[in-house]
Amino acid sequence: MAEMWISMGPQHPMTHGLWTLRVKVDGETVIDTEPDLGYIHRAVEKIAELRDFTKFTTYCDRLCYASANTWSHAYIYAVENLLEVEVPERAEYIRLVAVEIQRIASHLMWLGAYCPDVGNLTAFVWCLREREMMLDLLQELGGSRLHYNFPRVGGVKRDLPIGFAQRCRTKINLFLNRIQEYEALLDESTVFLVRTQGVGYAKPEEMVNHGVTGPNVRAGGINYDVRWAHPYSVYDEVDWEPSVEKPSIKGADCYDRYRVRVEEMQQSGRMVLDALDKMPGGADTHHQHGDEAILAKAPLRAPEGTSGFHHFEDSRGESMFYIVGGGEQRGKFPYRNSIRSPMFITIPYASKCMIGYKVADIPAIMGSFDPCIGETDR
Amino acid sequence: MGMKIDMEAAEVAANLVVAQGRSRWGGTGLTMEVQHHAGGRFKRPYIRIDCPRQHWLAVAKWLRFDAGVDHCSMITGIHWPEGPDERRWEVVIHLMRMNVIDPPERGNWVEQVVRDASILQEEDVPLEFEVSICLPDTRTPSVPSVQQVWVGADWNEKETWDLVGIDFDGHVGMRRVLLPHDSPVGYHPLQKQHKLRYHDFEEMYDDAQGFQRKPVDAGKIK
Repeated sequence: MAEMWISMGPQHPMTHGLWTLRVKVDGETVIDTEPDLGYIHRAVEKIAELRDFTKFTTYCDRLCYASANTWSHAYIYAVENLLEVEVPERAEYIRLVAVEIQRIASHLMWLGAYCPDVGNLTAFVWCLREREMMLDLLQELGGSRLHYNFPRVGGVKRDLPIGFAQRCRTKINLFLNRIQEYEALLDESTVFLVRTQGVGYAKPEEMVNHGVTGPNVRAGGINYDVRWAHPYSVYDEVDWEPSVEKPSIKGADCYDRYRVRVEEMQQSGRMVLDALDKMPGGADTHHQHGDEAILAKAPLRAPEGTSGFHHFEDSRGESMFYIVGGGEQRGKFPYRNSIRSPMFITIPYASKCMIGYKVADIPAIMGSFDPCIGETDR
Repeated sequence: MGMKIDMEAAEVAANLVVAQGRSRWGGTGLTMEVQHHAGGRFKRPYIRIDCPRQHWLAVAKWLRFDAGVDHCSMITGIHWPEGPDERRWEVVIHLMRMNVIDPPERGNWVEQVVRDASILQEEDVPLEFEVSICLPDTRTPSVPSVQQVWVGADWNEKETWDLVGIDFDGHVGMRRVLLPHDSPVGYHPLQKQHKLRYHDFEEMYDDAQGFQRKPVDAGKIK
């Protein structure tokens, strides 16, 4: 049969954003793919060279609209490595709570967007209902619903609000119960299983060589997680273990990638509950804005010749900032701020992953890798 | 309790790699040392390598196949127009040793690789690497491509060429990824001659509303 190229995107429900996947098909079978990115490139790295270190946090929030908090935290940890800042322990706990609630919200957004792709619209509504609870919690912490600007160099913007711990426990417990409803809804739905099982196999070793990280690798049966392998924050003190799937011999399929994220949401929920219990000074105390228990003093300038980087477990994989000090205004600005986006590397691999499957499988495979174009294009 | 790798084991593992690297690459101008992150709770060690341009491909193969560095995290470039003569361009590569293998097979299913992080030793400890390659002043900076060593380097190298303008010798399929495909040849926005300023004017700070903004030829024409 004649081979031909089809453009899927930039406006296509499969893309979950604005990009083009060029697909070469032979009949209904995909034989080659080529992603085309950059539709919403906004030169964040160049903008960073004219912003001082505190002001750039807001831009990091806007790198990914589904997972804003993890991105600003990834940036702040890199800046702290650059400026040699020690963070108070209470601030680390508050950050952990904020990041893990954000991880739940991000995975819920993914699940909500993915299920309509594979023929289950109910899950979309349910996921957004639970995500609303998480956004309420994050709103209490950061003040807004989507872009929080929560971390500061040396700590956090605000302490936990009074009564936050109790409301957080209630909502997380409710969420952990409701997640069983998802399992009942999706794991027993024939349509969902047919669309996801046995589709889009990926081997862990191959994924790592291609640069894929995070939940996608853990779906392949490997408990690799930046949170323990390159430890930061207080993940060694709260109770958790990486969620790992049990794949088939061909590798991880879309169903494994769904399962690992559901389990990761449960892990994150338990982590938040445990962190609230173990919070130094108690979760119900409230320090004033700028108190030294939640915000350490940090220098404003990074001299020439310094650099700092930090690997961070984002909701979608390993994100990273590499910052070189000594920019304009005697080091007030960075000379270079370089961003590693996990999805920028994952999308080319995911595109290769669908070779050999049918055109109808493309949304199921692509969606299971959790693409986010805001961070991809930067 | 949560888990993390033992920091002393990480220190030992990093020193082991550095000792092996120094004996392998002694006399080539390559320097290798253990450094530590300055912030955070743990002050994790990482390995810093300053690599001469001509040895980079061989060093990459050594890292991949002898030192077990299986993950190319990020490749990025820096333009130093006013730097020292031997460093007008710099390519910085961040690598990780993740020790990820395909899980062993048991019949029709595979066994999960569950590792206890606290007892990992020597070759099993995950490590971070930072490689720096400095280039002298040139209009066509380039370093060898490591696309064949880590496939993940492919799109990183594309992006570095696209934004910074550092080319990668031997890279197959180099093209624009973030900028439009019809961008002018030689236009790489992260080079320092491209300013973010509007007419040498810091509009973001001095005049956020744009009230004082004037065209560049104001006062010169009637």
